[in-house]
Amino acid sequence: MRRERIVADVSRLPNVVYGSRNLVSWGTTGFMIIEGFSLALCAVTYVYLRKNTIEWPPHGTQLPQLLMPTIALAVMVLSLPLAWWTKRRSERMELGATRIGLVLSSIVAVVVFGLRLGEFASLHTLWNSSAYGSIAWTILGFHATLILIDMYDTIGITLIMFLHPESKWFPEVADNAIYWMFTVLSWVPLYFLVYFGPRWI
Amino acid sequence: MSATLRAEPILEPALDVELDRVWRGRSGFIGWLCSTDHKSIAKRYIATALVFFLLAGLEAATMRAQLSRPENGVLGPDTYNQFFTMHGTTMMFLFAVPVMIGVGLYLTPLLVGTRNVAFPRANAMGYWVYLIGGILIYSGFFVNSGPDAGWFAYVPLSGPEFSPGKRVDIWAQMITFTEIAALIAAVVIITTAFKMRAPGMSLNRIPVMVWSSVVMSFMIIFAMPAVATASLFLAMDRLISTHFFNPAEGGDALLWQHLFWFFGHPEVYIMFLPGTGIISALLPSFTRRKVFGYPALVLSIIATGFIAFALWVHHMFATPLPQLGQSFFTAASALVAIPNGVQIFCWIATIWTGRPIFRTPLLFTIGSIIIFVIGGMTGVMIASIPFDLQVHDTYFIVAHFHYVILGGVVFPLFAGIYYWFPKVTGRMLSETAGKWNFWLMFIGVHTTFFPMHQLGMEGMPRRVYTYLEGTGWGDLNAVASLGALIIFSSVVVFLGNVVWSLRHGAIAGSNPWDSEGLEWATTSPPPSYNFANVPVVGGRAPLWESGDELPVMTGLARDRQQVLVTTALDAEPDSRHDHPGHTIWPFIVAVTIGIFFITLIFTPWGMPIGTVLGFAAYARYIWPKKNHDPSIVELPRSVPQSEVPR
Repeated sequence: MRRERIVADVSRLPNVVYGSRNLVSWGTTGFMIIEGFSLALCAVTYVYLRKNTIEWPPHGTQLPQLLMPTIALAVMVLSLPLAWWTKRRSERMELGATRIGLVLSSIVAVVVFGLRLGEFASLHTLWNSSAYGSIAWTILGFHATLILIDMYDTIGITLIMFLHPESKWFPEVADNAIYWMFTVLSWVPLYFLVYFGPRWI
Repeated sequence: MSATLRAEPILEPALDVELDRVWRGRSGFIGWLCSTDHKSIAKRYIATALVFFLLAGLEAATMRAQLSRPENGVLGPDTYNQFFTMHGTTMMFLFAVPVMIGVGLYLTPLLVGTRNVAFPRANAMGYWVYLIGGILIYSGFFVNSGPDAGWFAYVPLSGPEFSPGKRVDIWAQMITFTEIAALIAAVVIITTAFKMRAPGMSLNRIPVMVWSSVVMSFMIIFAMPAVATASLFLAMDRLISTHFFNPAEGGDALLWQHLFWFFGHPEVYIMFLPGTGIISALLPSFTRRKVFGYPALVLSIIATGFIAFALWVHHMFATPLPQLGQSFFTAASALVAIPNGVQIFCWIATIWTGRPIFRTPLLFTIGSIIIFVIGGMTGVMIASIPFDLQVHDTYFIVAHFHYVILGGVVFPLFAGIYYWFPKVTGRMLSETAGKWNFWLMFIGVHTTFFPMHQLGMEGMPRRVYTYLEGTGWGDLNAVASLGALIIFSSVVVFLGNVVWSLRHGAIAGSNPWDSEGLEWATTSPPPSYNFANVPVVGGRAPLWESGDELPVMTGLARDRQQVLVTTALDAEPDSRHDHPGHTIWPFIVAVTIGIFFITLIFTPWGMPIGTVLGFAAYARYIWPKKNHDPSIVELPRSVPQSEVPR
């Protein structure tokens, strides 16, 4: 063992930091990249399978309905300011406002998940009807999984902020809001692919 | 932060004891299940992967026994199919990638001078998921339900029509388990390398070994989703009658090949790049100079990582793809030889201009270079479409990729084991046995695989359980089988060396090779907390540059697991981060993940059951424990803006 020479003391460095300074954010970002890339591969698969078929959707399959999916998308997009607001409040460590934001975010996540479950009927096909049905159901289902995970996380962090409020959870709230934004924004191109793909490509 | 100089070692017994109490965790079986120490988890990865290496080796030896003469009767066709599928699957998914992940997880925190990896609980969970996947597939194999459609499970052979039963389902779910584990490890390694480096270890001072682990991790992040997606599609085609790969309903069999090889080719570099990192890490110790061409080495590793994603179609030259596209992939396949060549020239220059000390790690390194270069040259040959079409699916390909993988993965791994065994265990491996280990393996590899080039040129196809006497392939196959026996004896020598040295090996001391890296600044084996104080780095070879005194920073908590977080580019001290400590919940969450995916093989009810169990376990996993940090317990309704961190 070598002798050691002290050159500095780190005991006064902060222990609550946000964004790229926060280790947890790196983990969240990593999994957003993984999930986003997996969704992109599903989208590529959709286009790849499209080239195999003259008719898309296949003959005898109705075009997907737009009403319910568009309502769901609208709710998701309209929830973005709420997520942003909650993130900002948590970054300012405003416990009351953060709690309000989290409760509203939890409600939104539950509503969006419910709408998503209803969306499957709008496809007018089943997973085992054709390759078209398989990929449409898979994209919808895969993204529904992200909504479910985010719903779970949001409710979890909401409970923590009511029952165990500590400053170290504020960055987690901000991360959770970013993850919701990712969930919403990743859906926008997929929405057009799944519902307008059969009409346009 | 003024500098103070202390004449005596500052590792007071009290600090040592306090840190060990906080970091060590409980003893006993439950304590073992609870450990989140990166060293424990990494050792489990490496030990488990080596067990799978032995199993896959035994499968290979059995196949060589079967092929040692024409029309042999050791294995029947069905069993042979399971054996070659298990051999490939095990070597790729359960040995090569996990063992390199294990090496990365063990070394990265030590090389960058921190106390644990980022996300230690997730890291522990990843190991358990990997273990469950391995146990699953071998359970199937031992009850005659081993997969039998090849390690890349091409459809339609692996689809519901041609592979009824559960064999391929087990394979597909095993893939899922190993993907989860690899993806978790990738995020863990990247975050550790970018955010937990010792102060002063700016990007241009990161050890090459860490760079290679980082690039491996990024490749995992972009490659593994492809095979995860493919295996999901395959499992759904088989279990719930989707039609992704069914042309009759608009599916496409080639889609499988695209998705699989988009993962499968980068996979080669996922295994190989850490091997190059190992070589670059140990060469300075055995040439007594810094590694030649650090920037070129790092840029080559990064370039290989990028180019690796542009090669996948060269596995598909025998499919009806557009010629222009195929030409692009020929060019890309030849292109990847350039950064790999740069690395090899840097190593040769290091040895050439240094003072080589021919200990076992250096022997394995030189052996690696020779074997990998041969494999690389046949790789350039089969990058050419006309040649590839002639030898496609023949033993020439088997020879090529075994040279690549043995040279690029197995030899560097053995070099690394001989190099870091003293650090991990505190004892040296026997040099005499090490040299036997090396020469037997080096001779065995060439004896086994070199004749396969000729067998392939003569047209012997892969994956045949036997051949007729009249083909004339008997003699070369007999030589190859003899070579397998030599490799086997080499591995026996290695195991004997490990077992003997664990008890009787010479005591290593903290830095037996007089090496340059930070991992040698701590004791062998390292304490539970790795470093009592945070080391400070002033160059690329910290121990050679710091003289007798290692600069350190103090001030991390003694009463809880705390690490220093530094800035991503310049590694300046930025914040402190508390780790949650040892817990059993990663193990339990992994078990629920196992229940989820294994039950799905038999019933769709696995999804709701597994989801509920998983969410319940995860709730306990994330639920906060009582906080020990007095500075974050008090939480006013609103923190004064002057105190909000920016």
